[in-house]
Amino acid sequence: MSAVLEFPVKPEARPYLDAFAENAGEPQWLRDLRRRSLNRFAEAGFPSRKSENWRYFDLQPLAREPLPPGRRAIFSAGVLAGVLLGGPTHRLVLADACFSPELSAEAGRDVPGGARFGSLGAALVDQRETVRAAIADTALAGPLAELDAAFFSDGFVLDAAPGIEIGQPIEIVHVASGAPASLHTRSLINLGEGSRATIVEICAGEGRYWRNDVVIARLAPGAHLTRIVVVEEGAAAVHTALFDATLGKGARLDGFCCLLGGSRARQEWNVRLAGEGATCRLDGAFLVSGDDEANIVTAIDHAAPGGQTRELIKGVAAGRGHGAFQGRIAVREHAQKSDAQQTSRNLILGRRAVIDTKPELEILADDVKCSHGASVGDLDAAALFYLRSRGIPAQAARRMLIEGFLREAADGIADAALRDYLLRRLALRLGRLEE
Amino acid sequence: MLEITNLHVRLADGGDGREILKGIDLRVAAGEVHAIMGPNGSGKSTLAAVLAGRDGYEVIEGSVRYQGRDLLQMPADERAREGLFLAFQYPVEIPGVNNTYFLRAAVNAGRRHRGEPELDAGQFLRLVRAKLKLLDIGEDLLQRPVNVGFSGGEKKRNEIFQMAMLEPKLAILDETDSGLDIDALRIVAKGVNELRSPDRAIVLITHYQRLLQYVEPDHVHVLQDGRIVQSGDKALAAELERRGYGAFEEAAGSAA
Ligand SMILES: Nc1ncnc2c1ncn2[C@@H]1O[C@H](COP(=O)(O)OP(=O)(O)O)[C@@H](O)[C@H]1O
Repeated sequence: MSAVLEFPVKPEARPYLDAFAENAGEPQWLRDLRRRSLNRFAEAGFPSRKSENWRYFDLQPLAREPLPPGRRAIFSAGVLAGVLLGGPTHRLVLADACFSPELSAEAGRDVPGGARFGSLGAALVDQRETVRAAIADTALAGPLAELDAAFFSDGFVLDAAPGIEIGQPIEIVHVASGAPASLHTRSLINLGEGSRATIVEICAGEGRYWRNDVVIARLAPGAHLTRIVVVEEGAAAVHTALFDATLGKGARLDGFCCLLGGSRARQEWNVRLAGEGATCRLDGAFLVSGDDEANIVTAIDHAAPGGQTRELIKGVAAGRGHGAFQGRIAVREHAQKSDAQQTSRNLILGRRAVIDTKPELEILADDVKCSHGASVGDLDAAALFYLRSRGIPAQAARRMLIEGFLREAADGIADAALRDYLLRRLALRLGRLEE
Repeated sequence: MLEITNLHVRLADGGDGREILKGIDLRVAAGEVHAIMGPNGSGKSTLAAVLAGRDGYEVIEGSVRYQGRDLLQMPADERAREGLFLAFQYPVEIPGVNNTYFLRAAVNAGRRHRGEPELDAGQFLRLVRAKLKLLDIGEDLLQRPVNVGFSGGEKKRNEIFQMAMLEPKLAILDETDSGLDIDALRIVAKGVNELRSPDRAIVLITHYQRLLQYVEPDHVHVLQDGRIVQSGDKALAAELERRGYGAFEEAAGSAA
């Protein structure tokens, strides 16, 4: 970059500043947005652990060994083996953060009329106003969202007109070639009044890379989105993601967030119940071992009356793993009759594993039902003995109990095939658990 | 089958160091059914727990041999794979673990141990159906998490069902009969009688004589304050019922 900046640049931001190149093919509004976002990131640098939201997540490894965006690699169809949902889906593959038509096969071709599903790149070429508005007008807080705005190379867009029901799941597969680089994607979900869709996002890869992802969702009144995220990044990878959802009147979000792999993985979900009687069910699970860190950070904002939240997060830490859940629920002054329940249950296996859990309720309305509960414990010795007394070897018995513990988080997923898929992923991960 | 010699046990940590079992001697041969009776607090459950390998107890003296091996050296899960089964007085609830899944893992762990091929889902289900029919138990418990939300009677039925599935060499039933209505008691009795065979042994730990009306024991022992104070045949159980444990307490007192 040649321009002289009129503010101090944080040292960790310098490599990213240097890697930035303007793309003359992009519309002016987007070039402006990227430039503004990059400048804000350069000034702020990485989020500090002093900021409450990042207290339990260490970005120092990235500061020491930066991963600016790099070149795209070439993928073979083999990368998808073993990560796909199975069964019929509308699949879109983002390979090193770019839409891959070869791997995606049928993406976008068979969604019901009235819905558009495809890559963000294609939507930008079409100059769709809804897409511009969502990207340009959504204020997302935080330096990593700024970095994402500066660098996102692609993403997916689901745009459904009112009353559209998309029966098959939409399957987004993020794969990484493992080239040492950061991968930035930005995606949009727009559900019109009364529309329904299920989106499953799977993140996988090998090698040392940093995936930084932003997904923005807008649910019109009565819309219903089920969103399942499964993070199975490579053992040396860093994963940071922000999901920003706004729900209209009577809209419903069923969210599930599952962190199973990556040296450092963080999912942040910000959900705003903007319309009366909106409902959010947000469940999740994380499982860390080795030196891994996993973080689920949620903020649910009851901004209108009659909203309902059900949140259940289950965590397991083994080895020297460190897991954390930070869950904020805010009920605004006029959001009467809000009903929120948050539960955080955690299992610590071994003396060196750590789990932090931090519920936070901020309630400004007086006629509300809100509760939260958190627990951190060990495997139940009586249950372990019971299983062993039936001949099940100790290690298998432990896994059975851990799996049983985590399963409950998937109970809220109504679709049996999706629930089975998740339980299989959990079981596979448990099979590799080093305690 | 089972040889307990001069077994002294106390709690492993905490406690007051007081012995709970104070020198138990017991021999159980294949083909036999033994009943161990005694008042609350006499050490019946402790004996069952030590035999099954529960943590928290310390054997300070004595030995236990099972099928010629030192039982106390074997981990709990190995004891089970070697054919020892304990029906729990208080079966444990295990949320998230499906009863059928659990039981199949248990059955297959035993089969692997014996060098037999594992049962696939279909074969396992056929075995389940056969055992349920034999015991006259419904299928309702199969798809629920292990013991979660089961009534007291359902939990005991589940124990007996597991026993039938695992076909142990030595089954120890810890007060499986207490608190059961007559139908559930019949299922327990049926489970025990079905298991009875020349190459198996059964130890019934019980407070009451009731179960012994359905399962005829070969030997009856009275456990009192950590010791077996009297042994005899089934007539002893009837005598206990008539005279109560108090009579034996005196006998034990004067013998000491
Ligand atoms: N885990 C324990 N903690 C404290 N006391 C125990 C424990 N287990 C057994 N005891 C004591 O040992 C004695 C025998 O108990 P138990 O074996 O349960 O007898 P029973 O089954 O005949 O009722 C009782 O005095 C009981 O209080």
